[in-house]
Amino acid sequence: MIKIDHVSKSYDGGATKAVRDLSLEIRSGEIFGLLGPNGAGKSTLLNMLAGVLAPSSGTIELDGVNVATDPLAAKRNLCYVSDSPDHLLRLKGHEFLRFIADVYEVPDAVRGPRIEELAREYGMEGELDNQIQSYSHGMRQKMMIMGALLPDPAVWILDEPMTGLDPKASWLLKQSMRRHADAGKTVLFSTHVLDVAEKVVDRVGVIAHGELLFVGTVDEMREHFKSNGSLEEMFLELTSENSPFAQAADPAGEKDDEPVAPEEQ
Amino acid sequence: MARAAAQDFSWKQFKVMLRVVIKGEQHLDDTGMGLGDDGAIKRRGLLSSLGSGARKVAMGFLFLLVAAMFFMMGYMLGEVGVTPYLAFSLCVVALVGLTVLTGLYQAVNILYFVRDLGYYLTLPISATTIMWAKLAHFLGMSLLGDLILLPVALGCLLSVGAAPGTWVAVTAAFVLAAIAVNLALVIVCVPLMRFSRLAHDKDLFSRVFGGLIIVLALAIGVGSQFAFQGDGLASLASGAGGLLSGGVPAVVVGVLCPPSLLARPVVEGDALAALGGLLGMLASVALYAAILSVVARRWYFEGVQALQGAGGKRGRRVEGAELTQATRTRGSFAANLSRDWKMMVRVPVFFNQFVLSSLLMPLYFIVIMVVSGVVGVSQATDAGMDPVALLEMARSLTALLTFDNPSLAWCAACVLFFGLFLGFSSYSFTMGVSRDGEDFFFLRGLPMNWSAYLAAKFVSPFALSTVPMLVLFVAVIVLLGVPAAAGAYLVAFYLGATVSLGLLSLGLGARFPRLTWDNEAQLVKGGGATLMVFAGLLVGVVVMALPALALLAGALWNVLAIPAALGLALAIFVAECALLAWWVFGPTAAALARIER
Repeated sequence: MIKIDHVSKSYDGGATKAVRDLSLEIRSGEIFGLLGPNGAGKSTLLNMLAGVLAPSSGTIELDGVNVATDPLAAKRNLCYVSDSPDHLLRLKGHEFLRFIADVYEVPDAVRGPRIEELAREYGMEGELDNQIQSYSHGMRQKMMIMGALLPDPAVWILDEPMTGLDPKASWLLKQSMRRHADAGKTVLFSTHVLDVAEKVVDRVGVIAHGELLFVGTVDEMREHFKSNGSLEEMFLELTSENSPFAQAADPAGEKDDEPVAPEEQ
Repeated sequence: MARAAAQDFSWKQFKVMLRVVIKGEQHLDDTGMGLGDDGAIKRRGLLSSLGSGARKVAMGFLFLLVAAMFFMMGYMLGEVGVTPYLAFSLCVVALVGLTVLTGLYQAVNILYFVRDLGYYLTLPISATTIMWAKLAHFLGMSLLGDLILLPVALGCLLSVGAAPGTWVAVTAAFVLAAIAVNLALVIVCVPLMRFSRLAHDKDLFSRVFGGLIIVLALAIGVGSQFAFQGDGLASLASGAGGLLSGGVPAVVVGVLCPPSLLARPVVEGDALAALGGLLGMLASVALYAAILSVVARRWYFEGVQALQGAGGKRGRRVEGAELTQATRTRGSFAANLSRDWKMMVRVPVFFNQFVLSSLLMPLYFIVIMVVSGVVGVSQATDAGMDPVALLEMARSLTALLTFDNPSLAWCAACVLFFGLFLGFSSYSFTMGVSRDGEDFFFLRGLPMNWSAYLAAKFVSPFALSTVPMLVLFVAVIVLLGVPAAAGAYLVAFYLGATVSLGLLSLGLGARFPRLTWDNEAQLVKGGGATLMVFAGLLVGVVVMALPALALLAGALWNVLAIPAALGLALAIFVAECALLAWWVFGPTAAALARIER
């Protein structure tokens, strides 16, 4: 379970607010989709959940563990895939996976078969001996996802995980997410691809200008807007400048863009 | 024909491209030879601006310092009877030598290894225009560096009281020579990049050229130890003049730098001869520019295309028992050490800067010692002395190194001085965390043991920079027959100095890491890195000051008994190491876990 309690994140001494007083509870056994336009604060929020950024105020708990006070225990309980797959490019695929397994202390009996299984599923068997820098964008993304799934922690946090994946890998990831949630664990992912969110998520949250504008199921969202339109139309309506939510979230005189988190660029 | 026409030069596009290139192109400089700058790293805030300004001032000061040294060198050359022509010849030969040494890679870097080149290819701009825009940028950067040699000739002119017109003519001739040699290199570079398979493998190319440059630089360093003794400098100038006076060397230098062939009338002739010489130089530069334009129109674009399509080396299929073996469990320290080591060895710039140069440093000392030894033995033999008897004499002196003798304290002080000298290489510790760059933030998302992470960052450079020198140090101790106890003390002292220096450098680097760089060369070269190298000396002074004072208290000021001074100095090092280890692996490791973008 992920519990976010009145979390804010600001930069430049408070002049730039990337996330504003956000509270949210994501239950065990569900897939939660985080939607929002560019610069909405999605990546900042996910980075705070993963312990890469510290909240300016508020608390975050993963399965009851406070990320700020006990980051190691919290991180052992989560895996995080950022929206950029360009990491540790000079390592070979199997060296990268071994490093991740060592850091998460995955036992020998588990890691060998698991790596082989993941490599087979994602079609990377023939690539493990190549340096990651030689991979295409999609293959790098697959490698990051394999690294995240290898330790199989309770909480998955994925930032734009489908970007660059081929249809099969994308389908596989969605299946994995579903299985993980059905096993009583938690998946939180952000996406711009609204169709994906519509088909996969149990609940959805819409974030814009650093504020959570809506939380609920897709049906509830439809009900809320009394519309039969697609999620995309709702999303556009929800995050548009004319939205009452957006106006409420953008009081005069405050900077609301999020220029600092480069992973969103 | 149509393709050649499509590659025609456009002045309008040239200006646009040059502006783009100067403003912010990102180079894939993999050699770490100082070609990348850190201009892409922008930070906000007054302190950062002040830091940037201070760095520029410091770099300008360094440049002026070296220029002043060269000027004095030229002045001394004039004082010992070297003519301005010979001094100018020395400048030109040094210019050609250095440009051949480093210029080819610089040209390849500027013209081909550019991250944005793939984008330029999609634009409706002719390849010739792109190349000339890059070349203008390259020439500007090269000329700034080349000008550091000119003060040698100017110093000589001052010494002989040359007329102002000669100063102007010599300066203009040198600038034309610098442009010509750089154009010549690019004329070679364009077909090389079109047809050489080596050049299409960036890593291999960078490794080969980077290694070559470091080896040659060390060779020059060793050679200079002997050349700059006695009348070595004057004979060097005389040799440079000989190179330009005729024969095959003059032809080679003349082909690489045609203005060199017209240097004599410019430097020594009357006004008319000097003007004629300068016009001839200008014509040779124009000719090379025309040749380059033709060559570029034919092959530059094709070379760029070949580079864009070049692929990396492919590995084998790893599965089953082999995969299990390859991914077996390790502890946190071993996992971090393995990762750090692989990144250091596989990134050419890191390999050249931190591995190759560290390993070559002991070689540098060995060569100096061997050559000095051979020269010494030769001189002793000429003087009728037996070399074996000399060694025995040295051993009889080292036998005096006991704990109640001030000579051991002075030896320890020499070890300190040597350790201080090694402070130049302590930036391999300082850069430990910064080397990870953006990867650091990936690691921040993992349940990392930051103490193990920093321990790994300490071991890699320590093994490379300290252990080979330690082996050399022990070999010298054994060769000179230093008593075992005194030898062990000196080794312990050396370890204390290097460990404390390494720990403090690592800790400072971890407290103030540079994690936002676009390519590795930005990190290890350029103004900031150069200052970091000199800052290593200050760090060395900080850790070695107290032990040095303890030694001097015994050996110089007689405040302490010699054994007490020796014991106190070593105890201070032990205490420093313990304190620094706690600081690095405790609070500093914890601070790493809180670093944000």
